[in-house]
Amino acid sequence: MSPRRTNAPGRVDRARSIRFSFDGKIFAGHPGDTLASALMANGVTLFGRSFKYHRPRGVLTAGVDEPNALVTLIRGDVREPNLPATQVEIYEGLEAVSQNRFPSLSFDVGAVNQLGGKLLGAGFYYKTFMGPVIGPLKGTRFWMFCEHFIRRAAGLGRAGTAKDTARYERMNAFCDVLVVGSGPAGLKAAREAAGDGGRVILLEMDPLFGGSARWSGGRIEGTDAAHWVEETVSGLRELPNVRLLSRTAAWGYYDGNTIAATERVADHKREAAKGEPRQRHWVIRAKKVVLATGAFERPIVFAGNDRPGVMLASAAARYASDFSVLPGERIAVFANNDSAYANAALLREAGATIVAIVDMRAAISEDARRLASECGGELLTGHAVVATEGGKGLTGFKVQKFDAATGSLTGDPRVISADLLAVSGGWSPAIHLASQAGAGKAEWDATLQAFLPPKPAQDWTAVGTAAGDFSGGHGLDVAPAPVFEIRAGGKAFVDFQHDVTADDVRLAHREGFVSVEHLKRYTTLGMATDQGKTSNVPGLAIMAEALGKPIPEVGTTRFRAPFSPVSIGAIGAERIGDLRPDRLTPMHDWHVGQGAKMYPAGLWHRPAIYGAPGETVEQAYIRETKATRSAAGIVDVSTLGKIMVQGPDAAEFLDRVYTNLFSTLPINKARYGLMLREDGFAYDDGTTWRLAEHDFLMTTTTANAGKVMQNLEYFLDVYWPDMKVTLTSVTDEWAGASIAGPRARDILASVVAGTAVDNETLPFMGIVRGEVAGVPVMICRLSFSGELAYEVYSGAGHGQQVWDALIEAGQPFGLVPYGLEALGTMRIEKGHVTGAEIDGRTTARDLYLDWMLSKKKPFVGSAMMDREGLVDENRIRLVGLVSLDGRPLNGGAHLVEHNDPTALRDSIGHITAVCFSPSLGKYIGLALVKGGKKRHGTRAYVSDPLRGRFGPVEIVSHHMFDPEGKRMHG
Amino acid sequence: MAEQLSPLGAAWKPGRHNVTGAAPGVVLTETRPGSIVQVAAWPGDEKAVIDAIRAVAGLKLPDGAGGGIATEHKAAFGFAPGKFMVVTQVEGIEAELLKAIPITVGTVTGLSHGRTALRVSGPKAEWVLAKLYAIDFALPAFPLHAGRSTMHHDVFTQIQRTGADQFDLYVFRSFARSFWTTLCHAAEEVGYEVR
Amino acid sequence: MLITCPYCGPRDLAEFTYQGDANRARPDPASTDQAAWNVYTYDRVNTLGDHAEYWQHSGGCRAHLKMVRSTLTHAISSVEFVRPHPGHKPSSRRKPGAAP
Ligand SMILES: [Zn+2]
Repeated sequence: MSPRRTNAPGRVDRARSIRFSFDGKIFAGHPGDTLASALMANGVTLFGRSFKYHRPRGVLTAGVDEPNALVTLIRGDVREPNLPATQVEIYEGLEAVSQNRFPSLSFDVGAVNQLGGKLLGAGFYYKTFMGPVIGPLKGTRFWMFCEHFIRRAAGLGRAGTAKDTARYERMNAFCDVLVVGSGPAGLKAAREAAGDGGRVILLEMDPLFGGSARWSGGRIEGTDAAHWVEETVSGLRELPNVRLLSRTAAWGYYDGNTIAATERVADHKREAAKGEPRQRHWVIRAKKVVLATGAFERPIVFAGNDRPGVMLASAAARYASDFSVLPGERIAVFANNDSAYANAALLREAGATIVAIVDMRAAISEDARRLASECGGELLTGHAVVATEGGKGLTGFKVQKFDAATGSLTGDPRVISADLLAVSGGWSPAIHLASQAGAGKAEWDATLQAFLPPKPAQDWTAVGTAAGDFSGGHGLDVAPAPVFEIRAGGKAFVDFQHDVTADDVRLAHREGFVSVEHLKRYTTLGMATDQGKTSNVPGLAIMAEALGKPIPEVGTTRFRAPFSPVSIGAIGAERIGDLRPDRLTPMHDWHVGQGAKMYPAGLWHRPAIYGAPGETVEQAYIRETKATRSAAGIVDVSTLGKIMVQGPDAAEFLDRVYTNLFSTLPINKARYGLMLREDGFAYDDGTTWRLAEHDFLMTTTTANAGKVMQNLEYFLDVYWPDMKVTLTSVTDEWAGASIAGPRARDILASVVAGTAVDNETLPFMGIVRGEVAGVPVMICRLSFSGELAYEVYSGAGHGQQVWDALIEAGQPFGLVPYGLEALGTMRIEKGHVTGAEIDGRTTARDLYLDWMLSKKKPFVGSAMMDREGLVDENRIRLVGLVSLDGRPLNGGAHLVEHNDPTALRDSIGHITAVCFSPSLGKYIGLALVKGGKKRHGTRAYVSDPLRGRFGPVEIVSHHMFDPEGKRMHG
Repeated sequence: MAEQLSPLGAAWKPGRHNVTGAAPGVVLTETRPGSIVQVAAWPGDEKAVIDAIRAVAGLKLPDGAGGGIATEHKAAFGFAPGKFMVVTQVEGIEAELLKAIPITVGTVTGLSHGRTALRVSGPKAEWVLAKLYAIDFALPAFPLHAGRSTMHHDVFTQIQRTGADQFDLYVFRSFARSFWTTLCHAAEEVGYEVR
Repeated sequence: MLITCPYCGPRDLAEFTYQGDANRARPDPASTDQAAWNVYTYDRVNTLGDHAEYWQHSGGCRAHLKMVRSTLTHAISSVEFVRPHPGHKPSSRRKPGAAP
């Protein structure tokens, strides 16, 4: 017989139908169905093949603990594997496929693994495939040979390759009390907290609130339990200070009483509404957390316990009472505690025949005996199931007399026919979140034969069955006989999802694994996607027995987040496919409009070149450089870090952080400055402009802007708290255009109003204020390119107007815009350093910047910069390079003295920057080589074997173009 | 003076987006104030600076961290120890504050170009902002007119609550377009109108 | 992890930057005592338990904070401004849950 739909009331709305497919076959279900309940209602019992042995598997549970019935959902090109069918709500058009079978679910080639059981025992992969390569097919080499086949045969579902197009979002929430779980204990806690006036959030994994109280009968506060749930939930819904979140699984408990949860907002819909996320990642910071997470029923470990048709008793009852699906017609129960009797009664009420109740205990309670007689069927106390029968579905099972105290089986096995075996091996409180936020270990409760929550390390309390309080509900005693396994030979599964048997656990013990953590890793017990919800305690019990120790001494492993699988998308939230924000200069649109090839510089986008059609990058930067050196060029320098340093102590502050003096800098003058780190190495450079007595505008490199700001704030706050200095990031306040070249002054003179720009008014490093296009500007004459150059600063909101005016004014003078490539080329020609040379390992001396090290004052780094190792003449120091074979150089390539392309040794340094120099007509570069200056005029060889480059270079001064600086001072 | 160009460019798409009901969940605007000025007091001189802001802008800042005040055309709030933002629709407040706050008391820094002011208002304002910032937007925790400094990933933001369901955000100008796009994306669920 | 900034209140760890060990003492800037500079620059205690350290509220008010944090549990037992702010008054934040 197969499962069938009943007319019992429940969550399923039989008035409406939903069509979906499983392995290509079309089925019908109803709103309220999970994929598991809908398929069972259609008579399906086989859901998948097991991980290692490819054994047929059905549905074991009705919830998040499901280890067997994993499916892959397909939405368009997107596949989502390893979803428990018990958690998937069906929607019109849902497409699911089974996993780990080839070529089909009912005929599976890999099932032959069942015959060679010993081959795939504990540690099989480790033993067979690791270790030295001896002989043709051993160890690692053997693994390489077999990997392809094994990867196909073992394992879980296959992830897709298509881009996930779904939307995910994050939500930050705060509350006074967060209640996790909406069973009676959770609902009561939420009601109480709400009554106190605090903000309350209640999370429930299921689409419906109430937990098992909705369907398992019984009474709460003098009324029918299901009715009580309905009343209580609608009462909470009316309160403005309560937020109820269903379909929301709390999966992580973090410091600061922070709970991570995933809300399945649209997973149950055919399509998310526009703007609606598929899942919402909740980060909830609660003053207090109430863990009402309930308990999981445990299976019993016995031979054939994985056959489809063996199901947890509470799950079977829930299918019957909640989903209106009778999971079997002739049902037997196998239990070690009283709770299964109540579930048997529910199954009978739903129309099943209870053929037998097998209880491993010799004596049972009066309540249990009464329920058993109401159910009818045989009551076999002091018995145990020793084997199951059937192919892809259960047809019957064997029982023997069993002594729970000794574990011994006696008498002849007897066959009982049944199509469903409802199993209960006791209950384990769901202590996962508690364990994540617990001080110390979970506490073993000998009566419940289960772990209770540890002492809290954060502000939480556990209530209801999560705390081991099973007094609510049907009121039956859930204390089980302390038996987890029936040892009768045959494969008895502990971890269904990873196919770990009781024998595997014992084998691991025989091989010397005594720590529970090692056991877990070696056997992979509890390491599957279900995180061992059904297997943890039985596995531990078997391990403890093998070790001859009581369970609490063996201890449990600490539960870690996530409690249930979490999609990476949910955590990535709004940043999926767009990992970083873009930082754009005020002239960004202009650059793009001019066909600039934009280049990411940190978060900034900067033009690399303004390529003409058909031009290569090299052709473009050579053209831009030539035009700048012969006429004029303009570059967007808005990205430079800019920090306002203000206050009566601003000048003194700068004296302390820069190697050179700034207190002597006149107003309306700029000075090039260098900063060191505390350890004496070079840190950052830039110009700082004195705008007024107490106002300085500091510029930093684009890359270090944020770090320099933090570093300055650190010194101010931590070491010099008495200094009256305000530091403000004004990088975004100013647009900057640098205009360089022999015609730069003429261009400015033609467009700037309110000030002259001649050499007298605006000398090198001078600052003037004026107007361009009616907009106030500040112009500083300074040069990075080595040309006569000016930086024109305006308010960022006016940057484009000023830029447009400069471009227009430059037309008659041959002005061209240039990008980072040309900027880099001109600075290499001039030997100016950037982050490629100030790389954290070079000193001011290495870069021949010792002239900037003031002897008149201490500064950050001054005490450490003269250490012996830092003043050694033979350190790698800055030089220029000229390629002697007419071929380009590569950044990062090593330099050697020997002319031997095959000898990979004796590096004397490396190349930091390269370009084709239009001014010299050669490929040139900057490098850091041992001895630096001493090697000027000598020959070396670039050695770059990875990129196949070897060839001669001449080492020259890094000032390769206009060394006297006539052009910029002109 | 020439008008400031908005950094939002083509990302500013006025009109209603995904609004299904009668009203959008939030209204998003770039408020484009004439002046955004940072005022900093030396430790111990906070009172003098608060008095100067009151004298110049007519805004009486309450005591306490993150305290703020707002009227229809101007606002001020504390966002860091001894530091305040003063925002007015009219230009030129910076020069007046400079006159009122000598260097012995504190500093005045113009940020009218460097910060972009975005307003999120409407019944779903708290919901949309909670997607982006890990701070508590509920009225008891974030009182009317109070200021907060926080961040959305790399985007540093100062936020002032200027109404029961209205927040003014100040972000660095270079991030404004990228952030605006993120904000619109976050608002799509509840429907939004760009004004 | 949440850090309670004296200015901003409790904020997520993501808003803060670790700025180093607060047990070290910077020598006088003019000092040429290499040993002292060496200790300041490189020597760090590796405390098990309570540890004094600097954090900057870089994604908030940008103040540097001196905190004592347990390296064992992350529990933060004290947080204060590094730079004294005598005029600072905590915000008159109403109790969460209280009527607005
Ligand atoms: Zn702060």
